[in-house]
Formats: sequence, C-alpha cells, structure tokens
Amino acid sequence: MKLHNAHKTCWNCPAAILKGNVDFRACGQSLEAIRRRIEREGLLIECARLPDLGHFEPTITFEECPEWRPTKYGYLLENMRVMILGIDGYLGWTLALKLGALGCEVSGVDCFLRRKMVRELGTDSVVPIYPMEERLKAAKEVLDIDIKFREINILDREKLGQFMREVQPEAIVHYGEIPSAPYSMIDCNHAIQVQYNNVIGTLGLLFLMKEICPESSLIKLGTLGEYGAPLTGRPLFEGLFPADAVLRWRGREWSLGGELTPRDPVSFYHVSKVQDTFNIYEACKYWWLRSYDVMQGVIYGVHTDEVAADPRLRTRLDVDEWFGTVVNRFVAQAILGMPLTVYGEGEQIRGFIALEDAMECMVRLISSPPEPGQYDVVNQVSGLHKVSELAETVARVAAEFGYDVKIQRVENPRVEADYHPFEVVSTKLPNELGFTPKVPLEVEIRRMFELLTQPHIVERIRKVAHLIRPRTWWSGEKKVVETLEVYRPGTRRRRGFKPRLITDRERFPVSKVEEVERAVEAIGGGEGGDGNKG
Amino acid sequence: MEIRDRDFDREVLKSELPVLVEFWGSWCPPCQKEKYILEKLREEYKGRMKIVTINVDRNPRAAYRYGIKCVPTYIIFHRGEAIHSDIAAKSEGQLREMIEEALKKIPNQL
Ligand SMILES: NC(=O)c1ccc[n+]([C@@H]2O[C@H](COP(=O)([O-])OP(=O)(O)OC[C@H]3O[C@@H](n4cnc5c(N)ncnc54)[C@H](O)[C@@H]3O)[C@@H](O)[C@H]2O)c1
Repeated sequence: MKLHNAHKTCWNCPAAILKGNVDFRACGQSLEAIRRRIEREGLLIECARLPDLGHFEPTITFEECPEWRPTKYGYLLENMRVMILGIDGYLGWTLALKLGALGCEVSGVDCFLRRKMVRELGTDSVVPIYPMEERLKAAKEVLDIDIKFREINILDREKLGQFMREVQPEAIVHYGEIPSAPYSMIDCNHAIQVQYNNVIGTLGLLFLMKEICPESSLIKLGTLGEYGAPLTGRPLFEGLFPADAVLRWRGREWSLGGELTPRDPVSFYHVSKVQDTFNIYEACKYWWLRSYDVMQGVIYGVHTDEVAADPRLRTRLDVDEWFGTVVNRFVAQAILGMPLTVYGEGEQIRGFIALEDAMECMVRLISSPPEPGQYDVVNQVSGLHKVSELAETVARVAAEFGYDVKIQRVENPRVEADYHPFEVVSTKLPNELGFTPKVPLEVEIRRMFELLTQPHIVERIRKVAHLIRPRTWWSGEKKVVETLEVYRPGTRRRRGFKPRLITDRERFPVSKVEEVERAVEAIGGGEGGDGNKG
Repeated sequence: MEIRDRDFDREVLKSELPVLVEFWGSWCPPCQKEKYILEKLREEYKGRMKIVTINVDRNPRAAYRYGIKCVPTYIIFHRGEAIHSDIAAKSEGQLREMIEEALKKIPNQL
C-alpha cells in the first residue's frame, strides 16, 4: 500500500528549480537560451534543498526522495516551509498548530482585520482568544512549536513581499480574506471593502508569487457558495468539467472537459471568491504557478488536538449574524434557550465539514502539490445537509446535555431558493488524496456543547445574544427578521429534495485507511513527520 | 500511457501499429481531463491503434521536432510518418471519429 502522493515527482516538488531550466514554451515563455541548452544536454533541473545534486533529470519520486518524509497524511517535506495568510483566524490558527505539530516550519501574517471588524460591530468571539504574542508563547510552551509571525496587511505588497523573500515558502495557504456573506451585504461600503480586500489581496499575492516563489503551491480558500445551487439540479463538479462532459447544440458537439464550470455566487462576498478563481486560473496559465482552489463547505466545530491542548491555544468561534456559521450559531442558541432560527422553509441544502476534517484535507493538499501551471479545484465537504435537519440534530444533542430546544422558522433575509436540488461531486480528496472524513456531525456538536457550556463561555454568548437574529437583508433593508412559526423538533414533515454527494469512495474504501496507517508505520512515519527512510 | 523523449523512437516511430500521440501540458486543464478518455480509448483500440501521451514541457525534444505550438495537439503516426494531425480538445465522439478517419487511410488495416 503506497501513500497517496508516493508517485509524485520533482515536477510536483516546490524545491525543484524549474525557472531558468524548463522551457515552458506553450505558456508563451519560450527562451532561446534554454532551448539551446536543452537541445544540447537534455532537460535538467536543480534542487533548492539538495544543491549538491547539481543538474539532474527531474524524475525522483516523493517515495524515493530523502527530503519527503512519510506521515499519516502522506509524504511531507521535512521542515516544510508553509506560510499561512490570515493566521490569526478561525482556520488559520488551527492549521498553524496542526502543521507545527507535524514538523512544518510555519510562518504567517495577519493584520487582525477580523478582530477589528468584530469589535466595530459590537460582537466578539464567544471562545476567548488571546493576543498573538500569547498565542505564540503558548504554542512554544505547550506544543514546542515555533511560529514566525508578522503583522502585515496582505494589501501591503512591499511588506508581504519582503517577508516572502525572507521565508521562501514552499506552500502558501491563503485564508486571509473577509469571510462573510452577510457582512458584504450590509451596505455599499462593506461590499466594496470585502471585494477590495479579497480580490486585490489575492491578485497582489499572485504577482508576488510569480517573482519570489513560482515553484511553491498556493492553496487558496474559496467556497462551495461560488457555484450557487443550480435549479436544473446539474452536479456541482470540482470547478472544471470532467472529460466526458459535452456541449450539444444544433446537432454538433464539443468537449467541455477542463473548462471552468459556471459560477452563480450568492452574495457580494461570494462574487469576490469567483473573481479570485479567475485571477488564479489566469496566473497559473500565464506564469505556471500551481494552485488548489478549495471550494470549502461551511465549517463547524471547535476541536483539534492542538487547539484543545490549552485555553490559550483555542481558536475563535463566532455566533453573530455576520460571522457565525449555521451549526455554530445553533449550538449557541440552544445554550441560551433561544429557538434555533431556520431561515424560510429550512429546506436549503449546503455542504459542510468539521474543523478537524477540514484541517486534515488542508495538510493532504499541502503534501500533494499540483503540477507546474496546474490550476486545480477540490470540493472540500464531508456531508450535505438541510438547514432544518441541522437544527434537528443540534436539538437532539442539546437534549443529551439537558437543554429543551425549540426551532423557529424566521423570514429569510437572503435571496436564495428555499427548495432546490443539490448534487455535489467531491471525488479528489477521497480518491486521489486519501482523505476519509473522521468526525461525524453529532460528535463535533457534542464537543461544542462540552466547550460552550462552560460558565465563562455561556456568559460571553449571553453578551452577543442580541446579535444572533439577523437584521441584514439582501434587499438592503435593516430590520430584525420576524418569526413565522415555532415548532418542536421531530414534528415537521420533511419535504423538498434529497441531496446527493458523489465521492466515488468505493475506489478508496474505509478499510484502506487502516492499511495506510499500517504502511506509514512500516516505513517509519507518523504524526510527527519525522519518519526516516534510511 | 505517458511516454518520454527517450522512448519516442521506439514507442512511436518504430511501432508496428499506428500511434496516436497526444502532446499535452500540465497547465492545460482540458489536457488533464482528456487523459481519462484517452485511457478508455486505449483499451478499446488495443491491437488497432496505439494511444500515448507526451508532456511537452518535460519532453522538449519531441515538442521541438514536431513544432508543437499549442496543446493538446494530436498527431497520428504510421511507420514513422505523421499521417494526420489536429489541435484543440475533443470529446470522446470526436476523438473516435478522428481515429477512424486515420485508420481508413492505412491500407490492410484489420
Ligand atoms: N469558516 C468557514 O466556514 C469557511 C467556509 C468556506 C470558506 N472559508 C474561507 O476560509 C478562509 C478563512 O476563513 P475563517 O473562517 O478562518 O475566517 P477568519 O476571518 O477567522 O480568518 C481570516 C483571517 O484573515 C485575516 N485577514 C483578512 N484580510 C486580511 C488582509 N488584508 N491582510 C492580512 N490579514 C487579513 C483576518 O484578520 C483573519 O484573521 C476565508 O477565505 C473564508 O472565506 C471559510
């Protein structure tokens, strides 16, 4: 049993110096000098990590290369230099600790924009989070992880470029955007702020990568909401049409394979993500950058082993109408004794994934860089759920903790279909990257209740209770939504469409996961990433 | 099946069977996807037409030699001669049509 990335070669490796050695002619980069050399000597590259190799043929696999070490998530470069943009955020901080625990050299930037926005709106993370200095100190003390942090606004290209030059990242995870749909719908200023911050930040980053680290991979966070929910019910493919998709028109046909699928973003925030998608797609084409554009489902939860190791290491969790995501909000409402607010009919279907599973996916993506110039998309979800079903699940778990929960249907402030088909294709993570979801919805919700029912956190939830019920309408109006109906869990008849998640997982059955773990042990790898190939 | 510069003579030019070569680039999403269809057709045409792919950046000699200017480019070789070439990504039906057309040009094809 081989690890998922064993067969990848120098062509995927960020340490392979391709610039100046490879003639990417068809990208319009043909260089006569390189061409002459290749004609004379063949195609040879150099390695930034192993300069003693001199010029060599780029055919070494990850399995063969001494720099790639086995871990349970696949081979990882030893002390891989990973830079996280938006490292102070919900996901950024969690990933930083996870990567640190795996032996990566983690660096990161943040300008604390999220903390500022939250403060301005009069809300706060309900899980207390510590100032960055304390976070860094605790990471060192508790987990022995050193994180190189710089307070930088991504829009400040000069400072970001300096830091990138200093670190020479081998992978960049870009979380550093404003992540909220309702925030972008508050008014014109907020819509502009979100689009400017997200789109221009990413565009500038692409130019910097071209100059400073064209061989490193960019793992950029998009969202499943980029696709919308097409009413035809056609599947939401992984960003690009599959090979066997064809367009038929007037008796003729064309292949659609590899073309970007249509996007139908559902807010001005989601539009910023679609714009990012196009910018990244183009940059890969022009400059042979490589990227995974991650169409991530809505994240829920609070747990990874690392953030749970010490209160100072906890990551943020927001439940207000702007930054709270649905499951996180429901749990807070249950604890306050507030009926859970389902918008409209509650038959809307969305893709979800637990925090811990999402972090594993990110590590796997970092471990398996795309090929030069490859723009690839993964749909990162572990389950599709109706909003009303999520409310039922939260209510069920809440009952275990002694909470008697009701559900309320409220006016839907968003412009979205209440009933719609939803079919999502997510085959790459399970089949090509060896990922199997490990955290069932109820398990994570239980963990959330365990944490959020601690008295000091209940107190914090109470302080933001008045900001949970939405008042930001997609129409631009500002008024608190009204209740349409209150009901007891389990009493409403299910209607609407059944979601469908296509994973083709039979190609990588669950039993294989254990096999992989055994294989990693056999080659001497483990969580710490310090396995030795001898 | 992916071939390399150094196998080109043996796998393509000296092949008994006619060979469809797809020249592709890793930065070309339609090429990435098309590999699946080519794999399928490879099985289907076993014994009649060999189907191989070659990455233009990793195998510059073949790409220079055949003046590949865009990907995907398809060239069908028979006894060392290019008997057909075409560009732009194709559907399975179009690929099959192209192969059948080329086979017609070859005398005594089974
Ligand atoms: N949380 C989810 O459910 C979810 C779902 C899908 C996609 N995403 C995406 O994942 C990414 C991370 O989400 P999150 O929930 O961790 O959000 P977050 O707000 O907690 O984290 C983003 C971090 O980036 C920082 N940031 C934003 N703009 C910056 C700039 N110009 N310069 C420097 N730092 C900047 C913020 O201060 C914040 O700390 C976002 O791109 C988001 O759109 C999140």
